[in-house]
Amino acid sequence: MAEALPGFVEIPGGSKAPMRSDDGRNIDPQLGLLLGDAAGQKPLASREDVALHSEIFPHVPSRQSTDSPSYYGVPVLKQPVWIWTIAAYFYIGGMSGMSATLGAAAQLFGGREMRGLVTKTRWIATVGGAMSSLLLIQDLGRPERFLHMLRVFKISSPMSMGSWILSAFSAAAGGAAVLPVAPRFLPRFASVFAPMTALCGVVAGLLGLPLAAYTGVLLVQTAVPIWRNPLWSVFALCSGTAAASSFLELLPLNANEARAVELFGFIGKVGELVFAKQLETEVAKVERVARPLQDGFTGMLWQTSKVLVIASAIVSLAPGHSRKKRILAGILGTAAGVCVRFAYFYAGKRSARDPRATFEQQRSTPAHVAGPI
Amino acid sequence: MANGFFTDTTVCIGCKACEVACKQWNQLPDDGYHFTGMSFDNTVHLGASTWRHVSFIERPVPLNGADTGFSWLMASDVCKHCARAGCLENCPTGAIMRTEYGSVYVQQDICNGCGYCVSGCPFGVIDRNHEDGRAWKCTLCYDRQRDGLEPACAKACPTDSIQFGDIAELKERAHKRLEILHEHGMREAYLYGVDAASQPGTGGLNAFFLLVDKPEVYNLPPDPEVPTIRGYQSWKAAGIAAVGFAAAALVSALFGRSAKNHEG
Repeated sequence: MAEALPGFVEIPGGSKAPMRSDDGRNIDPQLGLLLGDAAGQKPLASREDVALHSEIFPHVPSRQSTDSPSYYGVPVLKQPVWIWTIAAYFYIGGMSGMSATLGAAAQLFGGREMRGLVTKTRWIATVGGAMSSLLLIQDLGRPERFLHMLRVFKISSPMSMGSWILSAFSAAAGGAAVLPVAPRFLPRFASVFAPMTALCGVVAGLLGLPLAAYTGVLLVQTAVPIWRNPLWSVFALCSGTAAASSFLELLPLNANEARAVELFGFIGKVGELVFAKQLETEVAKVERVARPLQDGFTGMLWQTSKVLVIASAIVSLAPGHSRKKRILAGILGTAAGVCVRFAYFYAGKRSARDPRATFEQQRSTPAHVAGPI
Repeated sequence: MANGFFTDTTVCIGCKACEVACKQWNQLPDDGYHFTGMSFDNTVHLGASTWRHVSFIERPVPLNGADTGFSWLMASDVCKHCARAGCLENCPTGAIMRTEYGSVYVQQDICNGCGYCVSGCPFGVIDRNHEDGRAWKCTLCYDRQRDGLEPACAKACPTDSIQFGDIAELKERAHKRLEILHEHGMREAYLYGVDAASQPGTGGLNAFFLLVDKPEVYNLPPDPEVPTIRGYQSWKAAGIAAVGFAAAALVSALFGRSAKNHEG
């Protein structure tokens, strides 16, 4: 412990004032300002907040059951405070990230025929990146401090890594989208713009992968029982791929582009279904943890998204190359992509509200469980 | 050097002096006035404006040696200032830091209210005040420690259920207390989160507890784990999958190009 200081502090001008801790009120003796650590915390504005709190007051008898105890059913974890914009971001971020990846591949190996697709993916990535930033800032408690996200580069925090990835991705995608127009204004530097555009396109494509995947890592690195499975990061990549191709299917494509988009989407959709099944099996190891994916609104969304993915894949595989067929597959796939993000986002909120899910999950691996058995 | 709390719940009398002292010293706003019907507990849980919370547990089982058929447990809960803190490791802005006293502290001029710490805490301690927009929790009275004083809750505790001091010394005291309780027949008493050996998921808690029933009864997780532990594994899985999807994108592009041979 620090050595005790005398009961008075020197103040400029040579006089002494009683130390605020000794005073016991934690008030600046000169100015009468509140000095407490939380003096700046805004009080809750209205009594409506009480109604919010009362959601967690469960109607259980005071006396506890001894076999599966909890504290009056009060959640042990705090429910994630994120709002719907985060679920929307999971969709848009993943979709634009994987679009950029396909765009970079088409840029490198697609040849002349796929130039249109390359341009489209660049604009999707640019607009998607900008929208992502807006959605994320909207969720902040102090939106005006959004730049604090780039204050540190912190490997232990997926959100810090994600902020850097999204920033770099948006810059690269924006460059790739805008630079092809630049020679019109600066014809002298046309020879510089072409390789710069190509480089930006490839960088955006490479960053698109971690952009789609990190949102999964972000969820894995929480205490929320249903999100704790490392496979969510792989799942995020798969559904990002499915969402990207579904969105591209809505746009006019030539035969070459359509083939590329359909194959890319098929791989994503199969991956999404395989890992959805795998995740369901793994979380179901503790019955209570799996519930948000099985019943209620979140369960319904989750099951609906799987049906939509299958339907979209079937339409995609069906014979024929008509534009209408592609649009139908695209609509089904896009609906699936939106559905699944909202499903696992709100499933996490619900999972955090269930104290027994947390307790039973931790007791299911009894190596370090504390207390009497 | 690290300072912390040893909360001996066996001598807690549920007076809530710690709650009041904490609110008063830190000048925390109120968090609404509710009647919950949960024994004497109308505070419910720790949160942005509640940094100490006394839980009241009514059990239909007697304490060892008593013949009442009933027992009433009280425990003052607080931020654990974990050796490996989920909130700190998840914080993307660096607003949450480790102080020179070993405590975990939120710098309110930095916090932008992203809410990631809220999901990262395996104890459900830190919370965002949705009116204020920032995340708040116990500071282990950083300002009082700077002045050489103990935190307000420990100072106010009339039974020394809350003890403040150097962690090594507190651990020694806790083990001695546990021994005495065991000698008196209270075999169910145990230390919660006292060191990394008993709670490897958090690396031990700077604010640990002496409890007499399962942790769940006090609304404490039985085996909490800093979420960062799964970071490497999930980044690795994502990395392998990313290589796969990069390959998928290339194959798709080549496949699309080949269409010319068949259709064009």
